[in-house]
Amino acid sequence: MKIQTGKKGLIINLLSLIVFALLWQLLVILARKDSFNIPFIRLRDIPTPVETWIALAGSMFIQIHGPGFTYGIINHVYASLQRVIEGGIIAFIIGVPVGIGVGYSKLLRNLFNPLIEIVRNMPPMAWIPLSIFIFVSGGSIFIVFIGVVFPIILNTVQGVKSTDSRLIDAARTLGASESMIVKKVIIPSAFPSIMTGLRIGLGVGWMAIVAAEMVIRSPVGLGYFIWNMGDLGRYSEMVAGMIVIGVIGYIMNISILLLQRRFIKWGD
Amino acid sequence: MKNSRKILFVIILAIFVSGCLEGKKAPSEPINLVKMSGQEMIQRLGTGEIAGFIMWEPYPAIAVTKGYGKNFIFSGKIWTEHPCCVVAYDDDWYKKTNNSDEILKRMALVQLKSVEYINNAKQSDSPDHGQLINYTLKFGGMTDPAAANMSLADVEFVYNTNVAGATTFIQRIQDFKIFDMTKWNQSGYKNASDYANSLITNDYVEWAINNKDENLSKLSLKEPVNIRYAYLVNDIHELPFYVGWQRGYYKDLGINISIAEGAPFQNGAFEMQNGFKANTVDVGSLGIPPVIIHRINSNDFSKDDARVGVIAGMNNEGSVIVVANNITSIKDLQGKTVGFPGPGTIQHVLFLMEAEKEGLTVSY
Repeated sequence: MKIQTGKKGLIINLLSLIVFALLWQLLVILARKDSFNIPFIRLRDIPTPVETWIALAGSMFIQIHGPGFTYGIINHVYASLQRVIEGGIIAFIIGVPVGIGVGYSKLLRNLFNPLIEIVRNMPPMAWIPLSIFIFVSGGSIFIVFIGVVFPIILNTVQGVKSTDSRLIDAARTLGASESMIVKKVIIPSAFPSIMTGLRIGLGVGWMAIVAAEMVIRSPVGLGYFIWNMGDLGRYSEMVAGMIVIGVIGYIMNISILLLQRRFIKWGD
Repeated sequence: MKNSRKILFVIILAIFVSGCLEGKKAPSEPINLVKMSGQEMIQRLGTGEIAGFIMWEPYPAIAVTKGYGKNFIFSGKIWTEHPCCVVAYDDDWYKKTNNSDEILKRMALVQLKSVEYINNAKQSDSPDHGQLINYTLKFGGMTDPAAANMSLADVEFVYNTNVAGATTFIQRIQDFKIFDMTKWNQSGYKNASDYANSLITNDYVEWAINNKDENLSKLSLKEPVNIRYAYLVNDIHELPFYVGWQRGYYKDLGINISIAEGAPFQNGAFEMQNGFKANTVDVGSLGIPPVIIHRINSNDFSKDDARVGVIAGMNNEGSVIVVANNITSIKDLQGKTVGFPGPGTIQHVLFLMEAEKEGLTVSY
């Protein structure tokens, strides 16, 4: 992914968003005035960007009404992010060593590949019903883990395999042990690929957490917020929550890209 | 590039810091209401994952007869004679159907006949008691006759509408800020009573009362009509619909019931209201709270597309707060998770009312 940089790029980025919002506003208003009708789609029921913005501002923080209180979007973001980061860290701790082992050792590859290939094709959402039954708590972190771990493993394997064999041979010739080769040659070489795996994985994990929060019960989380707002017919808040999910996912993606560029001066 | 990095850093930091700060503002030790299905409530109470739940029958009765928990507070103790499920019709269907008034009169009559049958058959010495238990087991998705008996005892089946109850409910909804206030202002209703009266009509029940001793086939519509009916899954409150359907009352009156697309629904607040909006449901039974809330919150007032009308009651009371056996006071639920069927349901409002009485806070 290429980040549009420079003033010109930024202006084009902002303009595209403004044009989209204007188009969205116009289409909904025209639909509400019966100027056009698309069969099977209730376009008129979609809140306008203005309504969504007002709802976003109004539901940002905790609201207390009598004995009841509802968490603000900021709390939901925090809870969801926390789950993604926890699941991501566990996936990183497990995924990287597994990926290095499978990528470096033929025996481990033959041993683990069939299992990895079968399990990685089960989407994180397919694990939700099972995790409801097997986890008393932390089921949503497990769903994130499933989403993140396989991109990390696969990208680590790829990174290890694409290590220049001449570098390994040179290290071996100079008397380096196998563990030294892994530490000093393979890991640095595979690191850009590992980070790519983490970035892709966190993207999948972020999408999975929102789905998981709709099903795995917790009083706080963006998925739960969206579902609750839908139940109450508060569609502006619901759409505001959806937009927040998109924005956070985008920020996460760019953050890792920037980190990659900042700390990894080699690789892709 | 450097600027964008700084901006990103500030945004991420702001999210974390504000999350932490806001977290501190949340009342300490609230009771956490978490939405779940009735089956999930029973299962999670059994495994100890939740400390209790508030739900409609038969779920409380099933949980209690399985020994997973105990009946703690009956909803009638929180609010005597509180309204619950009703029979409602979609206003679009009403307008485009020539004889909609005649159909609705007969649907109210079915409700009356079914409620009379149930109330008689509830008595254990009634010759119809065994049959009623069979209906209850089948409609409630149960296997244990003891649970069926317990759930029947908790529900007060009615056919009369409850305008006073609906008015009180609307006031409580306003107190708890569940209405979208922009939409409420657009609605043009002066107050809760004005709104309740616009929503509920007693004309059909009055007709039903006047004709209740007539032979049903004598009152049959000249041309049979097809009605797409929706109801909530395993909700014993809506047993009168099932009894009327199974005993052929609708058919005798010239009404062919077909179950609406996607029904029975898990959730009256969301799925059934969408069915009314999308014109896939003509008439249905659901809790009056979702009707009241969605008629405001999800309505396009230029079209009035979420307009529904209430023609008869289904039941009053009939929900229970069930808790784990070690809970002795509602205060014991502080800091724990309690299942509920979703925001905006009568169970939600009842739980808030009970918490208010005890000076407790509830997150949802």
